[in-house]
Amino acid sequence: MKLILTGLLAGLLAATAAKADEMAFTSWGGTTQEAQTKSWAAPFEASSGIKVLQDGPTDYGKLKAMVDAGNVTWDVVDVEMDFAIKAAKDGLLEPIDYAVVPKADLDPRFSNDHAVGSFYYSFVLAWNKGAVPGEPAGWADMFDTKKFPGKRTFYKWSAPGVIEIALLADGVPADKLYPLDLDRAFKKLDTIKSDIVWWGGGAESQQLIASGEAAFGQLWNGRVFALQQDGTDVGVAWNQNLTAADVLVVPRGAKNKGSAMKFLAAATSPAGQAKFAEASGYAPINTKAKAEMPADAVKALPDAHVDGQINLDMNYWAAHRDEIATRWYAWQTK
Amino acid sequence: MQGSSFRRSSVAGLPAGSGSALPALLLVGLFFIVPVVALLLRSITDPEPGLQNYAALFGSGTYVRVFLNTFLVAGVVTAVTILVAFPVAWMLAIMPPAMGSIVFGIIILSMWTNLLTRTYAWMVLLQRTGVINRALMGLGIIHAPLPLINNLAGVTIGMVYIMLPFMVLPLVGTLRAIDPMTLRAAALCGASPFEAFRRILLPLSLPGIAAGGLMVFVMSLGYFVTPALLGGTSNMMLAEMIAQTVQSLLNWGLGSAAAFVLLVVTMALYAIQLRLVGARRTGGGI
Repeated sequence: MKLILTGLLAGLLAATAAKADEMAFTSWGGTTQEAQTKSWAAPFEASSGIKVLQDGPTDYGKLKAMVDAGNVTWDVVDVEMDFAIKAAKDGLLEPIDYAVVPKADLDPRFSNDHAVGSFYYSFVLAWNKGAVPGEPAGWADMFDTKKFPGKRTFYKWSAPGVIEIALLADGVPADKLYPLDLDRAFKKLDTIKSDIVWWGGGAESQQLIASGEAAFGQLWNGRVFALQQDGTDVGVAWNQNLTAADVLVVPRGAKNKGSAMKFLAAATSPAGQAKFAEASGYAPINTKAKAEMPADAVKALPDAHVDGQINLDMNYWAAHRDEIATRWYAWQTK
Repeated sequence: MQGSSFRRSSVAGLPAGSGSALPALLLVGLFFIVPVVALLLRSITDPEPGLQNYAALFGSGTYVRVFLNTFLVAGVVTAVTILVAFPVAWMLAIMPPAMGSIVFGIIILSMWTNLLTRTYAWMVLLQRTGVINRALMGLGIIHAPLPLINNLAGVTIGMVYIMLPFMVLPLVGTLRAIDPMTLRAAALCGASPFEAFRRILLPLSLPGIAAGGLMVFVMSLGYFVTPALLGGTSNMMLAEMIAQTVQSLLNWGLGSAAAFVLLVVTMALYAIQLRLVGARRTGGGI
């Protein structure tokens, strides 16, 4: 008995010791996390000897629960920018150690004291060419059920995107979007409510479009890119594409903070960013990355479509997140 | 029904000293009482002490709507489950035992398959471009796809399928206990099959219907996965609303309050079930 106990104890100690050069990375799963694993985690493991465990999908409730309970098992988490700003304010995040993470070449729009850019994306209008007659040109067509009948799909959660799309479709000029006129947005959304199928995650949005379950919808450009790479006949309208960023954060009390900062340095390096952008179709946040990418790959990025591009206001969202969310879910359940 | 027999047998099986019940009590305390008390405490202390979370819950049109909808969906699912389960249970009750156990096995087997897998399978079957709609359109029976998913129909189909065993099992027990001679006697007295069903079979099977029905209703109230995947946002059930409140709004006080109310309602219904079914069983002399 004693022998077994000693053995168990030794095993436990060995397991804890082994954890010293391990860390956990959490992202959104699917084709995006595959690209992150391939472009960031694998080379980082090879150069540092630190093993990167993958977890996911990102869950803000879980992140808060971990920090509140003082038992944080995630070291680096890919989150949306507006959440990162709010979470930093609520004390859920560790500050980024810019002595370890080189800051000089990072796009200043996407990094701050508690978050460093992961990639930036555009919401684009994508459609299944077999299911839609003609070519929808912009968000107004998403609300025109006469010209384009059928189901359309939008992002389910309260986040930057759908409200802006409704306002643009209703004729609000891009530079007059903020502060958001929620009454007007929901009134516009009411007109197509019964035709909306919601997607909760990127893989779901791909499935809906590929199967034709929803003829067209609002998708992350990288998910459309992945569909096209797979040979699915998908059209994409870049007109009025809406950009926003994902950022990498370290939850407060993360057990492997040192390794996490080293991982952030590798993920935001020109090489790491270039590889990820090439694999995913999302834009790099390191300004030196594009020089390391093939010309073809650069053409697939959101920043090849700056004409008519609209930046979603993350600071506005961070400040009004709760208020918008309450109204969003109230409207959805009505 | 299960609860009462469990209670009886465990009390009877206890040795004289009550000290041996301590580990069981500790387990219940640790895994049930402590979390429930923590939930209650959070609902009245987060973000500050007071009843503001409950005020927000009952003052918000959204939550009240979702509460009512949860009861509506649970009610519809229970009613449809009873209608579907009755013929299945009757068939099982009158089948030769050898064949009955095979059918029984098939029903039980479905319960052992992963819930998420089964729900995703329904998504594939029910969607507009799914197997059912394609087949119906291919046969020329319909010309536009039927809306079978992201609405009440989708939730009902998926949940009835999952709840069916919980309804069939208690019903079979009750139906098997009915003496077939009573039906033959009714026929001899000139009752039509429908009359015999209405005046003999149905009243005698009521305890089983009540037991299964309440179990299905209570289980349906807290269901999450199936309604979240097969339902739409306008027939959202409370469990999904709680998940949203916790995950997206990060409002844990409000989420806890909603969860606590759901728990109290569920426990109350369960208590009613024990009382009703327990009394009927002993009183009915079946």
